[in-house]
Amino acid sequence: MARKRFYGILIAVAAVCLALTVAHFIYDFVAYQNCSIIYFISREL
Amino acid sequence: MKDRITKPRAAAILGAVILLFGAFNLGLYRLFTVRLGTNYSDVSQVKMVDVKRYLPFESGSELVKAETDFRLTDELPVLDGAAALVPVYASVIHSVYPQGSVTYEGGAFSDDNYYGENFAPDSKMQYRNTLRGYKAIVDGDCDVFFSAAPSGEQRQYAEEKGVELVYEPIGREAFVFFVNSKNPVSDLTREQIRDIYGGKIKKWSEVGGANRFINPITRVAGSGSQTVMEAFMGDTPIAKKSPLSITGASIGYSFRFYLSDMVGNDGVKMLSLDGAYPDKQHIQNGSYPLVYPFYAVYRADDPNPNVRKLVDWLLSAEGQSLIESCGYTSIK
Repeated sequence: MARKRFYGILIAVAAVCLALTVAHFIYDFVAYQNCSIIYFISREL
Repeated sequence: MKDRITKPRAAAILGAVILLFGAFNLGLYRLFTVRLGTNYSDVSQVKMVDVKRYLPFESGSELVKAETDFRLTDELPVLDGAAALVPVYASVIHSVYPQGSVTYEGGAFSDDNYYGENFAPDSKMQYRNTLRGYKAIVDGDCDVFFSAAPSGEQRQYAEEKGVELVYEPIGREAFVFFVNSKNPVSDLTREQIRDIYGGKIKKWSEVGGANRFINPITRVAGSGSQTVMEAFMGDTPIAKKSPLSITGASIGYSFRFYLSDMVGNDGVKMLSLDGAYPDKQHIQNGSYPLVYPFYAVYRADDPNPNVRKLVDWLLSAEGQSLIESCGYTSIK
């Protein structure tokens, strides 16, 4: 595989993974504002 | 530098990137996301009051019926209150109001109905909780509001509107701290609690627990429990949390009956404070140190004569007995 093409694929994959991670963070931030503190503590590891 | 990369090597690098992100997100999910029950999830009843359990005149509701001849038949005051006091004011309606005075329309969530508990506009029972309720009493949308003491902003809102509110203490309730039921710590002193929330104590090992960070959780500004917590802290400001605290074991606070009976989550336990566990015996004999009054709040200029009559009844032996039967401690 051409190195240039590989870098293109690598950047695209990393961008998708990063976008999904950012979405995960945004969901957590919003959900934390509305979650039950009691439930949050009860499910602690 | 070679212009080409072998396919197995390219696949390995891409796989490693995906695996890295996947592992990070899985860790975040296990540590945090899975614990975020929201209004829109099936754990909503853990967050708030399931008002359907406390509807007056409904068979199977968990309300107390007072032994009394006191009845209101017309000019019925609209009652509203904090989540933790729904059983109290719903029991008042159940005991002294006529049937048909409450119309519950179910719980659809909306921007205007954060708690998802709809009552018809002409219903004599409403549920706005503390954040919206103090505004409602000032704006004249309800007649008697059952709540803990107001925050500074809530008092200020009344002053700005030129409304004088009467705060009549009608009962007492313990303010409690709780942790996960597996946390080995069961007792703290008031000073330790202030040091935890003030940022001096950062690890459970400093108070006899595991070698983990403490995650001191606060509540929404203006909520009843947050207002009491700020009063409890006094001159010690609540410190900003370390980002690492989220990996640790949490501590939170609430009111006793709300936590132990209305929510009743076995995954958490209440802490003893200065050696006294927050049960009714220790509240009544004064050994549990954090017991606060809760109030029937009404406008001094409310023209409805039944408002004061109702509050006087709440302060009578019958009313105080009702408050005890609901699970709280009487004021007298």
